[in-house]
Formats: sequence, C-alpha cells, structure tokens
Amino acid sequence: MTHPTMGIFGLTSCAGCQLSILNCEDELLAIHSALDIRDFLMASSINDTSCPLDLALVEGSMVSKLDETHLRRIRARSKTLVALGTCAVFGGIARETGARPLKDAVKVDLAIPGCPIEKQEFLTAIAMLLHGDAPLLPEYPVCAECRMQENNCLLNEEGRFCCGPLTRAGCHALCPSQGVPCVGCRGPTREVNPASAAKMLEGKGFSPGETARRLGTFAPLGATP
Amino acid sequence: MTNSTSTLRIEHLARVEGHGGITITMKGDQVLHVWLDIFEGSRLFETLVRGRRFDEASQIVSRICSICSTSHALAAILAIERAMHVEVSALTNALRELMHLGENIESHALHLFLLAAPDYLDYPSAIALAADKPSLVKLGLRLKNLGNVLQEVIGGRAIHPVNAIPGGFARLPTIQQMLDLRQRLEQGREDCQAAVAMLSSLPPADFCHASTVFAALRDSSIVVKEGAVEEQLEPGCYRTLTNEEKGPFSNAKRSLYRDRPFMVGALARLNINPGSLTAGAQAAVEQLGLSLASCNPMDNNKAQAVELVILIDRALSIVRELIEEGWQAQAPVAVRAHPGNGVAVLEAPRGLLIHNYTFDQAGYITEADVVTPTAMNAASMEHHFRVAVERSDSKEPAVLTRKVEMLARAYDPCLSCSVHLIQANERGRTG
Repeated sequence: MTHPTMGIFGLTSCAGCQLSILNCEDELLAIHSALDIRDFLMASSINDTSCPLDLALVEGSMVSKLDETHLRRIRARSKTLVALGTCAVFGGIARETGARPLKDAVKVDLAIPGCPIEKQEFLTAIAMLLHGDAPLLPEYPVCAECRMQENNCLLNEEGRFCCGPLTRAGCHALCPSQGVPCVGCRGPTREVNPASAAKMLEGKGFSPGETARRLGTFAPLGATP
Repeated sequence: MTNSTSTLRIEHLARVEGHGGITITMKGDQVLHVWLDIFEGSRLFETLVRGRRFDEASQIVSRICSICSTSHALAAILAIERAMHVEVSALTNALRELMHLGENIESHALHLFLLAAPDYLDYPSAIALAADKPSLVKLGLRLKNLGNVLQEVIGGRAIHPVNAIPGGFARLPTIQQMLDLRQRLEQGREDCQAAVAMLSSLPPADFCHASTVFAALRDSSIVVKEGAVEEQLEPGCYRTLTNEEKGPFSNAKRSLYRDRPFMVGALARLNINPGSLTAGAQAAVEQLGLSLASCNPMDNNKAQAVELVILIDRALSIVRELIEEGWQAQAPVAVRAHPGNGVAVLEAPRGLLIHNYTFDQAGYITEADVVTPTAMNAASMEHHFRVAVERSDSKEPAVLTRKVEMLARAYDPCLSCSVHLIQANERGRTG
C-alpha cells in the first residue's frame, strides 16, 4: 500500500510548530509509518523538493519575498495545504512589523492555530485528514474551556487583562488554568465583536490603547482564518 | 586550472533550526571569502517589545525561538526583576533552574540524536536512521521528552513557557509531579549513560582544529578565553563582546571580540569551566575521548553529551532536595513598575544569551537589546568553515560540502534566533 506523501515546511518563524511535531516523541515513528514524508528540511538532509504532495504542512508567516516564492511553490505541488500555527493562520507575533499570513498569497485548506500548535489537536487533525474527514476545530472562546476546568475568572474576579473571551479555544485554557491571563496566542474567535469587547474592557478600567495593544499581539482583532 | 575561481554554495542548510546557507569562494585551493548566509526573514523583536508593559515581555520574546524559548523568557524575566529591584524566593530560583535544565536537556537531545547523529552514521535523517537503529532513536526521543516534561511541569508548556512570570511562578508543582519527575530523571540518568556510549562509538571528526577564542559564563561574569589567556567582563559591559554588525549577505547580526571571532556553547562552557565536571561527567569525558580544553569545534557535539550528564545529575539533585525539604505555598513576589535598566546574561543551550531592557516610570519598555548565541557564533562559524576547507586534502565539492555541513550542524545554529533585529535587506536570491 502506498502512503500519502507529505511535506513539512517552515517560513519565517520560531520553528515552534515544526518543533511541536518533533515533540510528538511517542507518536513520531507512527506518523512516519502512516505517511510518506518526502520533504522536511528541518529534520532531513535529503529531500524531494519537487514531487507532488498529498499534504503540505506550512508553519510561519511571510516576511520576505523568498517566503512568498517558497509558499507559492509549495501550493503548486500540494493537494491539501495546512496552515500550521498562529503565524501561518493570522500573521502571528511579528505581524506588527509586516509578517503576513499564508492566506494573503495562497489558498489554505485547513488552519490549525496555536502558538505553538497543540500536540493533540494537531495529531487528531492529521488522523482525520488521513481518513478523508474534515477536521473540526473549535471556534468558541477560551472561556468555554476555562469554565470546564473550573477556574476562577481572572478578568471578572481578579480584574486582570485576560484575552480569553475573544480568543479561539483548543488549548484547554492552558494559561488561565495556571493562573496566568490568556494572551490571545491562538487568534480571535469567529464571532468576536470588537466594539463591544473594547467597551466591556473599558468598563473594567482598561484604556483603549492597552486593549488594542494586548488584543492585537498575535492577530488582528476580528480576523478570520 | 589551479588559479581559476570557484564557488561552493550550500543553498539551504538541512537539519538546523531556521533558514540559512553557506557560500565559499576559492581561487585554486585558496579560500577567498566565506559567508554564512542567513535568509530567514527578519523578525524585529526589539521593535515589537517597545511600548509594551513589563509583564508582556517574556511571552513576546520567547517567540524569538522555540528551542530556546525558556531561555528567552527567563532572560527577560531576570532583566525585568533587576530593573525593578525584585528579590525572588529560593524556591523560585530552584524551580527556574530546573525549568532551564529541562530546556537544555531537550535541546541537546534533539540536536545530538535528531540533527547531528545522522551525519556521523551517514543517514539523511533520524527518521531514516530509526528504520535501522530504532533503539538509538528511541533513546534520543526519550531523553528529549524528559527535557520537555521538566519544562511542562515547571514552565507550564514545553515551548513558550507561560507559568514563569516576573516575581516567581503563577502555579507551583505538586508533590506528585515532583515524585514523577524524580523517577523520570533516574531513568534519564541511565539513558544518559547509553547516550554517551553511543556517541563515543561514532567515527571521529577532527578536520578543523584551530586556535579559537571561547566565551562563557563563570558564576555571574562573562569569561573570554584563548589558550591560557583569560579576560573577565561584567554583564553590564557585554557590548565589549557583542559589538554587533550585520554581515553583507545576511539578515543576522554577528559579533567580534577585539576584532576576533569567538565561539559560545557547550564546548566553550566546558573549556572555561573545567571545574564544573562532576564525577559522572568526568567519566563521560574520558569515555568520549574528549581532551579539554579542546580547540576542535566538532567537539561541541561531545561537549553537549557531557553536559547531558551534568544537566540530568543537577536536575535530579534539585528535585531530590525539594522532595526532602518540601515547600510552602507562596504567591509570586509583587512587581511594581520602576524606571531604569536591567541586563540579564544566561547560558542558553547554544551559548551566551543577553537581554537588556530600559523601562519608563510606568514600566513600559523604551529600549530593548537582545544578543543571541548564534549571532555571536556566526563569525566563528565562518572562521572554522575557512579552516576546514583550507585543511581538506580533497577539494572535491562533495567532500567540502559534507565537512562544512557537519561543522555547521556541530555549532547547533539557531537561525531564527539570529535574525531578531535587522531590517530585511534581501539578497536577490532565487532558485
């Protein structure tokens, strides 16, 4: 049986989403046995840089012309292109200095946010793609998951600036569960209402400047994948 | 023909973090120019943190690099605490050290097993290597995972830690987590013996011995050493060491010390601190046939293996002590905004890392300077590429390429780290 061909690529980034794949220490060899990894420069010195790919995973954002050229070439040889991580999906941390998301240049078939991506969410999505299913990723806010963890609300009960209400879930409220406010690293939820959010936060004593700055760290408020 | 000009070009270095290449021009057998071309796009982190409040900094700068994200976060936190005159508890210091040890364990295991080992055994990747030597790759993955577990338990996440904050930790580990860590570290100690045995069986690589300047921390001072000559710098004077300049074809900064390249990282640390070797590490040094002080940059791989022993022993002793003495629940020390400047220097997995921030009255960042190990190593890498090419009996491109690539990987470069500041000045590179 032939396995689907896959390539794993990084544009300008911290390489954290590729590292998250390498951090699947218990699953890495199983991933390799289910997929034919043809092009993975971070892990291999021999790569097929032109073969058609069933699946391309691309992390990072476009900062240089070279990034865009590289991305267009990947798109041209790939059936399914997955934007891996918040840089690829929304532009990410460096967007204020000009980094752009993949969708600005090519069609993206699936967006998996996270800074970095969540290991389990990634593995589930890949498994679903392998079975011909469309992965379903949460679009509701981090608060939903935070409630499930039975955390105290850092925003309402402690008056701290928490991006949870406006941030896409899928991390199991990793930060608030440790008592650290959400910084919005997964990008905005689908139904965010920026004006009402700003008003709510202003009512809690946060200035419009601070609100805009903190909510915009990883993605433009109101952006869609 | 011997006087014709030729160019050796490695378009895209594989099995390293980030995007870079190498260009070497030669006239006959003589090397004219050597360039480490870093074409990872620029990421301007020093600009990104300007105007941010101090409590936002560590989560932003950790994104400079995933592999060293804990070091970047920690360096920012330490610099903030220095500027704001914050004294943290002994428990916080112990947990920070443990988290930082975890990062070093993960990074060294990743580099030795997944990135460097395939070079010596002539495989394109660890995945290909796993088909023939599964136990070797699984050993590496287990050690790598141990480092990640330490970072997860203490730092809250393996990449981009969230739990370490100015003043301490938002959440303390539970006793059960510590007991589990102890067990994992005991297993790690055994794995480490096997790792040293494996690495000592690899073929030798000694093709670019050259007089080298090394730099590393000793206690809280930066020591710069060449042969027996040493100089000490206080952290505040780091600019003597890092008079950063941008190379002609690169988006990264590079540093010279008194006009000379210098090397940072595991080998520099062992060369400068031979007294840090524990009994177990000394045994590893002997088993690996490493003679310190070594001026063979390829020995950076062996030095990382020796450090794995030191790191795991140290982590185990911290965990045992915490379990024995117990710890009280404590909130992080409150940090009040304070104008001023703070510098922190620490040893990231790949060498010296410097963070420097200036804050205004309200605790907002007005200036930031980050100097990364790979930026410091860039000039030294070019120096050693030149030596390797000049010393090579064969000038066949395939032979030279292999040597230069092995050497580049031995440095364990982190190219994302190295391009944090300079505005992109793209070389018209297509292809």
